[in-house]
Amino acid sequence: MPTPLVNPLREGIANRLSPEPCTLVIFGATGDLTHRKLIPALYNLAAEGALPPALTIIGFARREKTSEQFRKELEESTRKFSRTPLNEELWAQFASSIIYHQSPFDEAEGYTSLSKQMKEADIKSGTGGNRLYYLAVAPDQFPVILSHLRESGLSTATPGSWARVIVEKPFGKDLKSAQLLNTLVSEVFPECDTYRIDHYLGKETAQNIMVMRFANSIFESLWDSNHISHVQITAVEPLGVEGRAGYYDTSGAMRDMIQNHLLQLLTLTAMEPPTSLSADAIRDEKVKVLRSLRPLRGDDVFKHVVRAQYTAGLINGQPVPGYREAEGVPKDSTTETYVALQVNIDNWRWAGVPFFIRTAKRMPKGGTEIAITFKSVPRVLFNQTGEGLDENVLVIRIQPDEGVSLRMSAKMPGSSLRIEPVKMDFHYGTSFGKATPEAYERLLLDAMSGDATLFARRDEVEEAWAFVDGIEEAWKTRSDDLAFHTAGSWGPAEAADLAARHGVTWRRM
Amino acid sequence: MSFIPGIPVPIGGIEKELGKLWEESGDTKTRASLINLAIYNEKPGSLERNTEIIRGIAGEHAMRAILVQADPKAEGSSADAWITMHCYLRGSKGGSVCSEQISFELAGMAARSLQSVVFSHLDSDLPLCLWWQADFRPPIDGKLWRWVDRLLFDSRHWKNPKEQFDLIRQIAGLAEARTVLCDLNWARSLPVRQALAAIFDIPGTLAELQLLRTLELDYAHGSRTTALLLVGWLADRLGWSLSNPSTNPEFRDAQGNTIHVNLTEAEGASISRMRLASEKAEFHLLRESGSDLYVTTATGSEIATTSRMVRAPREETREILLAELSRGGRHPLYTKAVKAVEGLWT
Repeated sequence: MPTPLVNPLREGIANRLSPEPCTLVIFGATGDLTHRKLIPALYNLAAEGALPPALTIIGFARREKTSEQFRKELEESTRKFSRTPLNEELWAQFASSIIYHQSPFDEAEGYTSLSKQMKEADIKSGTGGNRLYYLAVAPDQFPVILSHLRESGLSTATPGSWARVIVEKPFGKDLKSAQLLNTLVSEVFPECDTYRIDHYLGKETAQNIMVMRFANSIFESLWDSNHISHVQITAVEPLGVEGRAGYYDTSGAMRDMIQNHLLQLLTLTAMEPPTSLSADAIRDEKVKVLRSLRPLRGDDVFKHVVRAQYTAGLINGQPVPGYREAEGVPKDSTTETYVALQVNIDNWRWAGVPFFIRTAKRMPKGGTEIAITFKSVPRVLFNQTGEGLDENVLVIRIQPDEGVSLRMSAKMPGSSLRIEPVKMDFHYGTSFGKATPEAYERLLLDAMSGDATLFARRDEVEEAWAFVDGIEEAWKTRSDDLAFHTAGSWGPAEAADLAARHGVTWRRM
Repeated sequence: MSFIPGIPVPIGGIEKELGKLWEESGDTKTRASLINLAIYNEKPGSLERNTEIIRGIAGEHAMRAILVQADPKAEGSSADAWITMHCYLRGSKGGSVCSEQISFELAGMAARSLQSVVFSHLDSDLPLCLWWQADFRPPIDGKLWRWVDRLLFDSRHWKNPKEQFDLIRQIAGLAEARTVLCDLNWARSLPVRQALAAIFDIPGTLAELQLLRTLELDYAHGSRTTALLLVGWLADRLGWSLSNPSTNPEFRDAQGNTIHVNLTEAEGASISRMRLASEKAEFHLLRESGSDLYVTTATGSEIATTSRMVRAPREETREILLAELSRGGRHPLYTKAVKAVEGLWT
């Protein structure tokens, strides 16, 4: 009797791909990401029965410790960072699948013994030779790890199994390094087995942008230059560099936020409807948006981009130091902590619609949102009121307080015709009270299931770098354009001027 | 009655009174609604029990709740109504999110013309979920069911499942296939089905599914229909046909092999133990009394022994209802499962 190809009991149980048995190897297992995000996410998936039936987790790191010590440390951090309370029995069962593998990243022996461990896990747990490697390390460690994975044969899947790699951002620091990194990865893993994580894409609201656009006829029919005046995409936070000065000062807001998160949100906002919901169909449309971005180079950069740094000020009434006063930041640093740019998408749909993108640290409050401002109605009918009508604004809030709001005009009650803006608000938390899973839960499960939809593809990453590189190159030629703003303010006057040139004011969040 | 489900209001002025309630509550309260959830019950005291359920789920699934306690056999006609809100704090600014509840006590003629009461108080454009907590009775009233988007019921409480399933089929047929049937008993079995399905993701186990010869299942007192739905699900999924309808029935697989099913009433959760066995392998699902975990085990001569634990949800009506409302969608396998064990419904 032939064995069925798929589990017939799975039908109707879940409307997503099933994760496959595998061994997950986390490089950088003693780091923050593993403790704060990865293991708590895996524990929650285990508790919900969402993990594959056979999973071995191998933590690969340099520090000396036993598996028992490692599990104990992970238990403590999971207790602290898990979104659901830790159940002792469940943890014990889950933790039994975790092994610590101590080795420097650059020693071949470490990979030989890793191979042995994985083969044992295959026999013991039934992980079937499937491998998922998670590079939770700084990018400078990628080459050594990848080359050892290749040389030890661990990156090659045996027939009937797979070997995938998850790469954490940053994916390079410019186009050249991204290409080098991508080439390096592609020499070891084919693109279809490479999963570049941008955790913004794992957020429910980011996933909802496509649903909102393509499942609601009222929005998509107005989603073009005939009806939209401009778009503002904002991601700001009240925090400073918070101990990340070493990394941040070499990166800056442009590389840290714009190149990945904000350009991803831009693509989801501006893309054409994909031909299907397959990973490549969606990513094909996203990459077309990036290719349509009008390049910013040379003098254009100084006309369309404002960079700034925060100086000492007040956040929530508390004094905070300026960027250059933060520990680890050079006193003459010209790294931008604020970026505002105006970009154009040169395609049929968006011709003539300015997109404004803004990211900053030390703002009065934090939040990420996409605001679509529609064109005003002709003033013919209501010009006697003496005031201009406010435009309709559709705001998609990514975080916090995820939701959607629409501003429209309404008549104030009374005998005279007075028109005022009113806001219709939809809050996820209000209507759907239940806690949403962490982005990493969704993304890890997707990688185990072979679904790359929420991961960045090589061409997406490189197109985004190509755009950002033009700006970075221009910035290298001079630094007198660097503006300053007080911490706790909404940014420099230069940014307000940038928007004002298009008749726009930045949204007060 | 001793329990008062809110502020008494005249039936003709419910919307107006709700409006006043909102005005008086100030700016810190936000009305939210994803669905209309109407609950129909004919037993005294049901308004109190259902108000408790609504209070328990409104924080996670905002709605307009319409509770009806009806006595259709009473003479004459009477109708009383109450309104209330269930509010939950949200966010750090002290605001709260509220769901509205309208409660009716109907007797005689008023109880027999349910649609005029329920439909005139729906929140427009939102789906109507009707939770029918009474027995379905012929003749089926097409005017009522045609407007129901999701019909919720719980077959666990049925004394005559055969008759009730027949009536359910009539309702589904009547409503131009628009009404989604949601048996809470089917929703109750979902975590068991998920845990069981996950066992057969273990490499080497899939082939054994076609070779099963024995199915043992322990169910709690009052949960025989839950057990039968699970058997029906397995039978449908694995191509078994009922060959011997008895207390412990037998099925035949596509090759004509017999599968023996042993159903035992036992203390504990609604489904506390399952054992599926082929000649070479055994698969267990166990939920110890009082435990909030399912433990599944696969053993066999050609498969690696694997044991797994997953969180088992509490079997409270509130939890099951919430899971069902959150899950949404149709349940195509449900009607197939019911049909697969048709000969066992009494």
